[in-house]
Amino acid sequence: MNDAFLHVDRLTKVYQRGLLARQETFRLEADFTVREPSIIGVMGPNGSGKTTLFELITGSNSPTSGHVRVHGRDIHRIRYRERDRLAIHYHQSYQVRHFKRSLPNFLLEHAGSDYPMVHLFDEPQFNTQDGYIGFMLEFFQKLRREGRLVIVCLHPNEPFHLDILREICERFIFVQKGQVSEAPDFDTLVARPDVRTYLGRLAPRAA
Amino acid sequence: MALFEARHIHKRFGDQVVLEDISLAFQEGTMNGIMGPNGAGKTTCFNVLTGRFSPERGSVSFAGADITGLKPREIARRGIARSFQIMNLFDDYSAIENVLIAVPEVREKGFNMVQQLNGGSSAMDKAAEVLRKVGLAGREQENAAALSYGERRALEIAVALAAEPRLLFLDEPTSGLGAEGTARLFDLIAELKESYTIVAIEHDMAFLFGLADRISVIHWGQVIAQGTPDELRANKWVQASNLGKLA
Repeated sequence: MNDAFLHVDRLTKVYQRGLLARQETFRLEADFTVREPSIIGVMGPNGSGKTTLFELITGSNSPTSGHVRVHGRDIHRIRYRERDRLAIHYHQSYQVRHFKRSLPNFLLEHAGSDYPMVHLFDEPQFNTQDGYIGFMLEFFQKLRREGRLVIVCLHPNEPFHLDILREICERFIFVQKGQVSEAPDFDTLVARPDVRTYLGRLAPRAA
Repeated sequence: MALFEARHIHKRFGDQVVLEDISLAFQEGTMNGIMGPNGAGKTTCFNVLTGRFSPERGSVSFAGADITGLKPREIARRGIARSFQIMNLFDDYSAIENVLIAVPEVREKGFNMVQQLNGGSSAMDKAAEVLRKVGLAGREQENAAALSYGERRALEIAVALAAEPRLLFLDEPTSGLGAEGTARLFDLIAELKESYTIVAIEHDMAFLFGLADRISVIHWGQVIAQGTPDELRANKWVQASNLGKLA
């Protein structure tokens, strides 16, 4: 298991409110393994836990329990500033940087990498008019060829978003109400009733 | 060997990675474009390549020498000129005075030389020649402030050319120009590229695709695509976009 590219190991994040009577407001649970460089598509409604999952994978948010290992390294044991050498998180065009620092750096380990192993693109702005879309998709494929793991999160609201996911992603992750599930390919993903409900008017297009 | 080469440039501001890994090479006598969406790191890239910022990692070489970390002034002395997105002109001086100040022999002797120069001096001839090259012949005595926006952009390029550079960097040359100004600038650069090695950082894709021999596309602080305009246009998504329709 330690040799997996990305190992999300019985990960949970629980948000609570109330001081005396603690009440659970949100719970994310994830457990999956990616063994090889690949391009993974992530879908799920807003508020389903995607952002929390990405923050946990890239080490900017700490889990309630469980671990995230990138190439066998526990990302939450790496120095804050070096975590992006293991897994980097871009929201649209910009790198996401807001670490919750709870330990001094000298208690943490070095990343031991100059270039990020996992590249997480959260809702990259695809626009079919300007042409950048073609360069972006080729870049994802280049990263994968160079032995990196690419995670692309896309909330499909245009038919071409589904075309992109079908064309470039090898497997899929679906997040809904804090539950993270996997699909081995596009057809399996879009055949699921919960995914079809989520896709709404785009569901017929995906069939 | 490339005239100018940047290898594996990595630049951070605090925790933020602005340039992840940028490698670029510009051959002598070519026109090169660097493009990317807003926030891609284009201007930071320009500033690292021209010496305003030092990279955390990586190297920059020009004409066979390592220039990584040299001050902008030192880089300029070696033959790299820059023209900025934000205008850098002396408004109260005439067009030709703005250019004269940048002519190497005037620069060496100091600013006051400008007053002592007469029409017959070689510096004056050079300045007039540069103004002619950028299409400002007849506007020499006009104050910079009195020129139109497009003429000011041309004057800025003239100031850069007056230094007799081996390599000319242009940062967003079309910014602020309307359709007419952009069309005129296009013609000017098409002419200049016959005699200069040029690098233009530019968001106007049609402009770059029409001019550049090679284009590098930057996004997320990385070079996400690189090639001739035809190579870049070969991608099917690019063909389906407005960029593909320009072919």
